[in-house]
Amino acid sequence: MIKLFRGVFFAIVASLVLFPSHLVATEGQEYIAIRKEGAGNIALVLDKLDAKGRKETGFAQDLDGIINGGLDFTKVFSIIQPPLNVKDDSDRKNIVINFPALTSVGAEVYVGGVVTMKSDDILLDMKVYEAAGSKLLMNKTYRGSAAALRSMGHAFCADLVELLTGKKSIFGSKIVFVSNKTGFKEIYECDFDGYGVEQLTKSKSICMNPALSPDGKHLAYIDFTSGRPTLYIKSLAGESVAAVGKSAVSIDPGWRSNSEVAATLSFDGSQAIYLVNTDGTIARRVTNSKSIDISPTFSPDGSKMAFVSSRNGLPQLFVQDLVSGDVKRLTFSGRYNTQPSWSPAGDKIAYTTWEKGGEINIFTINADGSGLMQLTQKCGENKSPSWSPDGEMIIFTSNRQGKEKLYVMSSKGGNERLLLQGDGEQTQPSWFLFR
Amino acid sequence: MKKNSIIVLALMVMAGCSSQNAVVPEPAPVSEPPVASLPPVPPAPSGYGFDQWQTGPLGDVFFDFDSATLSADAQEQLRQNGVWMGNNASKTLVEGHCDDRGTSEYNMALGDRRAASAKEYLVRFGVSPSRIETVSFGEERPFAQGQNEEAWAKNRRAHFVVK
Repeated sequence: MIKLFRGVFFAIVASLVLFPSHLVATEGQEYIAIRKEGAGNIALVLDKLDAKGRKETGFAQDLDGIINGGLDFTKVFSIIQPPLNVKDDSDRKNIVINFPALTSVGAEVYVGGVVTMKSDDILLDMKVYEAAGSKLLMNKTYRGSAAALRSMGHAFCADLVELLTGKKSIFGSKIVFVSNKTGFKEIYECDFDGYGVEQLTKSKSICMNPALSPDGKHLAYIDFTSGRPTLYIKSLAGESVAAVGKSAVSIDPGWRSNSEVAATLSFDGSQAIYLVNTDGTIARRVTNSKSIDISPTFSPDGSKMAFVSSRNGLPQLFVQDLVSGDVKRLTFSGRYNTQPSWSPAGDKIAYTTWEKGGEINIFTINADGSGLMQLTQKCGENKSPSWSPDGEMIIFTSNRQGKEKLYVMSSKGGNERLLLQGDGEQTQPSWFLFR
Repeated sequence: MKKNSIIVLALMVMAGCSSQNAVVPEPAPVSEPPVASLPPVPPAPSGYGFDQWQTGPLGDVFFDFDSATLSADAQEQLRQNGVWMGNNASKTLVEGHCDDRGTSEYNMALGDRRAASAKEYLVRFGVSPSRIETVSFGEERPFAQGQNEEAWAKNRRAHFVVK
C-alpha cells in the first residue's frame, strides 16, 4: 500500500505516450512577457471537446469536467463561455476558429481539443491559441487508458498553467494530513484537490505532523505506538522505518533537504532542534536555548531555519542562519506565534497567531520581518498553514463550521474553500510537490 | 487500496465565518526552582492531587496557563509523592498534559516541560532519576471535556502512573 502511495498520478502520466508534441515555447514566453505583472486572471475560453462516436463523446464530456474543474481550482483563470459562433466546421476537414468572436467576448486565450480512440486508448489532442494574435501557443496530444482520464486532463492543465504563467503548477502535487476518523489519529494523503484519499498509517495510536521529503521518498512523522512521541522516518519505496532511538519526546519534523530532517528532541533535558539523517541517526544539534524550540521550517536553499521559541517568554518566531549560527527574532506582533511554514519561493513565512479573544489566524511575513499580512479573520481557529508547491495557495485547518477541516485559500488571502468533507477531524496538512 | 469514505466536494463551499470567545492567555510568572524540605507527612488519599482521573497512591499536580512552574500546592503534592516513593520501590511514569488551547506542537513541548518539572522536583527530593520516566501527551489526551476554565485547569497537569 505504501508503495502504491508513491504517486499514482505520475505513474500514470509517465505511462502516457505523448504524440506530436509541439510546445510552442517561444510563443508562450512572448505571451507571458506581454501580460503585465499582476494583470489579474487570464480570460480563457474553454471550448467543449470535439468527439465523434458514443464512447468518444462520453470520454470527452468527462474530460471537459476534469479540465474545467482543474483550471477553476487554480484561480488563475476567468473561464468564459464560448461564443456560439466560435467555430466554423462547415468544410468538415478544417475547423476554423472565429478569433474576432473570441476577442469580442474579452477572451485572451482559446482552448479547444478533440477526443479520439486508438485501440483501447484515448487520445486527447489539445490546442491553445492566443485570441488577439490568432497564434497557436501549444499543440499537444495526451494518450492513456480510460482509467487515466483524470491524469490526462490534469497533465494538460499543468502544461497550460506552466505555458501561460511560466510557473510550475499544483497539478500532480499531494497533501499529507492527519485524520481521526477511525477513532485514532492516523496519517493520510490525497491529491491537491482532495481526490484519492488514502490512509498511510495504521498505528491505532496517535500519529502526527506528517512531512514529506522534497523528493517524496521519505515521510517523517511523530508516532506514539511505543508509548511516547517518537520521530519515524519511513522510506516509501522500501517500506523501511527508521525511528530516532533517543528517548524522551520528539516533536514536529521539517525537512531541510532530501537527506536531513529537523525535529525537536528532548533527551538532553530541553526541547532543542536537531538535524536527523534519514536512517534516524542524529547529524547535529541546531538550537541551544534551554527553552522550548520547535517547528523547524527551512528556506529553499536550506541555509536558514525559521522556528518557534519560548526563549523570550510566550512563543515567537525566530530565524537562525545555519552557517553563522546567528539567530534573529522574526515576529514582534502578536503574543503567541507558532506553526511557521517557509514559502517555496523563499520570500515569505506563513504562521499562526493566537489572538486576544481566542481566534487563531494565519499571517504571512517577509523573511526579513517586513510586510506582515493577515490572511484569515473572524473564522474561529485557523491553524497549520502549508504552501502549495507553486506558492499560489495555502492549505490550513479551520474549525469555522464546527469540527476542524482542511481548507485552501490564495496565499495573498481570499478564495477560502473547504477541501475535504468527511468523518472526523482533519488536521496538520502538509502540501508537497511530487516530482 | 481501500477507498476512503471521505467525500470530495465537487463544488467547493465558501465557508461562513463567525468569531468565537475564549480566554485571553496570560504570561506565566517565573519562580525560583523548588528546594526539598522536611519533615514528610502521610500521603493524602484525597485533596489537591486526587480526582476521578487520579485515584492511585500518587497525586497529580496542576499548572497555570502556558506554565511548567510548580505552585506551592504542586510542590506540597510532589513532596507527598516523594515520601510514598521513598517507602515503595515502584517505578513511576509522569505524563505531561495541556489544555487544548493554543497549538498542538507547542503544547507537546509544554507537556514535556511539565513532566520534567515534576521529575526534577522528585529527584531533588531524593528519588532516583532512574525510577521516574516522563512523557508528554500535549493536548492529545484531555481528562475533562469542555471549553471553560474549569475543564482547562483539570487538563493542565502532570499525571502520575505507578508502574
